[in-house]
Amino acid sequence: MKILVCVKRVVDSNVRVRVMQDNSDVDIALSKMSLNPFDENAIEEAIRLKELGLTQEVVAISIGGDKCEDTLRTALARGCDRGILVETLVSHEPINIAKILTSVVKLEQPDLVLLGKQAIDDDSNQVAQMLAGKLNLPQATFASKLRLSDNKLEVTREVDGGIQNILVSLPAIVSVDLSINEPRFIKLPQLMQVKKR
Amino acid sequence: MKVLVISNTINGRINSNLSNILSAANNLAECCDVFLIGKLIQDSLPNYKCINNVEHYPIDDSLNHALIVAPLISNRILDYSHVLVAADSYGKDLLPRIAGSLYLSQVSEVSEIISPNIFKRAIYAGNILAEIESYEATKLLTIRVANFPSYTSLAANINYKQLNSEVVNDIRTKILFESISNVDTVDINTAEVIVSGGSALLSKDNFDHLIGSLAFQLSGAVGASRAAVESGFATNDCQIGQTGRIVAPKVYIAVGISGAVQHIAGMKNSQVVIAINSDINAPIFEYADYGMVGDLFTVIPELINKLSNN
Ligand SMILES: Cc1cc2nc3c(=O)[nH]c(=O)nc-3n(C[C@H](O)[C@H](O)[C@H](O)COP(=O)(O)OP(=O)(O)OC[C@H]3O[C@@H](n4cnc5c(N)ncnc54)[C@H](O)[C@@H]3O)c2cc1C
Repeated sequence: MKILVCVKRVVDSNVRVRVMQDNSDVDIALSKMSLNPFDENAIEEAIRLKELGLTQEVVAISIGGDKCEDTLRTALARGCDRGILVETLVSHEPINIAKILTSVVKLEQPDLVLLGKQAIDDDSNQVAQMLAGKLNLPQATFASKLRLSDNKLEVTREVDGGIQNILVSLPAIVSVDLSINEPRFIKLPQLMQVKKR
Repeated sequence: MKVLVISNTINGRINSNLSNILSAANNLAECCDVFLIGKLIQDSLPNYKCINNVEHYPIDDSLNHALIVAPLISNRILDYSHVLVAADSYGKDLLPRIAGSLYLSQVSEVSEIISPNIFKRAIYAGNILAEIESYEATKLLTIRVANFPSYTSLAANINYKQLNSEVVNDIRTKILFESISNVDTVDINTAEVIVSGGSALLSKDNFDHLIGSLAFQLSGAVGASRAAVESGFATNDCQIGQTGRIVAPKVYIAVGISGAVQHIAGMKNSQVVIAINSDINAPIFEYADYGMVGDLFTVIPELINKLSNN
C-alpha cells in the first residue's frame, strides 16, 4: 500500500497579502511562505496510517518553483519517505496541476492520493476532484475521518447537511478538511536533519 | 450564449439555492436550461420564467454523487457557453470532477459576473477580490450563493422533460449514511438573522443555551467560528468562514468571536454586523456596525430575557 500526498507552498496564513500598485497581481515576493495548512493535515493523516501499519510508503509531491523543495523538506520532516518536485517556471491553474498529477499518479501507482481540500491562496477547491475525474477514480472530498481496511476506505465527509459516510474502493482520491486531525508539532532538529539529507 | 444551470434535490425537495443560481445565470442570458439531478417527492419545480428547458434526472439519493452524475451529464456540457452550479458541498464536489474529465478550467466561488468572460471572486481568505478572465469555450462556474438574490419571476409553464434512462451503479462508491439536517431549525443559507458563537462560550451547553436561544428568539439561524466547531460546541455545518459557509444575512450577530480573517471571510457581506466581545481590541469590532464591549454571560441572558418579555 502506497500513499501519495500533494503539497503546495503558499503564503503563510498569518500574512496579510497586498495587491501591487497597478492592481495587476498580488505582491507576495517578500511574503513568508508555508506549507498549505490543509496539506499539513493530509500529510498527518498519511503518517498516521503508516504508523498503524496500514501503509508502507508515503510519497510527497509538490509542483512549482525550486523553493518548493523547502515544502517537500517539511513533508519529509513530518515523516514522508520520499519527495518528488515537479519544477515549473510559472504558477499553474488547478486544471494544469491536475494534469501534471495525473502523470505522476500513473508513474507512481499509489493506492491512495491525499490532498488538502483547498489551498489558502486561491481557495479554488478543485484539484482533487479534477484529478479523480481525469483518472476516472472514486473521490471522497472534504474528509473529516478515514477508516482503512481490506482495500476499502470508509470516509466521513463534511457536507452542508452535516456529515455523510461513504465507502470507496481503492485506488481513490481523497481531499481532507482541517478537522480530520491535529498535525503534530515537529521539532527543529528533525527539520535540520532533513535539511542535511 | 447558451447557459446551463445544474442543481440537485435534497430529501426529495428542490435545493433552495436554485433560485439564486438562476439570478446569477440571468446576468448572462435571459433564459437558461436546467439539469435537475435527484428525486422530487416533496415538491415540484416552480415555473421560473427564465428557464427554457428542464431535464430532470430522477436518480435515487443513493446514486446522486459525483462518480455517477459526472459521466451522466458531462457529454452534454460542451453544448453550452456557461455552466453554473452552486458553490455548496454538492456543486463543489461535482463540477471540478466534470472539469477534470473534460480537461476544462473552472472559476470557483464567483461573487459577481462582470461580463460573459470576466468574473469576480475572493482569494486569500477574502482579503483580495480578483477579476478572472476565462478563455474557455465552455466556462464552468461555481456560484457564491449569498451574493445573488433569489429569482422569483414565474411563467405559466415550463418545458419539462423527465429522463428515465437506467442509471448504471458504480460499485466503487457507496453512500453508507447521511445526516439529515434538522427541518425545525432555520436554514442558514436563507436566514435573515444569524447568531454566531465562538470559543468564548466554553461548552456545548452554554452554546445551546445562549446562542441557540438567542437565535430562536430572533427566528434566526445558528452559526459558529471554527474554534467553536473544533471544541464540539456546534456541528461543522454551522461553521462560517473561509473553510466553512459564506453568508450574507441582513443581521449577523457575533458573540465571543475574535474576528480572525478566516472568519471575516465568511460574513463580511452581511448588511449589519453586531459584535459582542469582552475585549475592546478584538478585531471583530473593526467590521461591526454595532459593538458591545461586555461579558457575553451577562449580556446574552439579559438580551434573551428582554426579547422573550416582548
Ligand atoms: C487555514 C485556516 C482556515 C480557517 N478557517 C476558518 C473558518 O472558516 N472559520 C473560522 O471561524 N475560523 C477559521 N480559522 C480559524 C481562525 O483563524 C480563528 O482561529 C478562529 O476563527 C477563532 O475562533 P473564535 O473567534 O471563536 O476564538 P478566539 O480567537 O479564541 O476568540 C474568542 C473571543 O471571545 C472573546 N471572549 C472571551 N470571553 C468572553 C466573554 N466572557 N464575553 C465576551 N467575549 C469573550 C475574546 O475576547 C475573543 O475575542 C481558520 C484558520 C486557518 C489557519
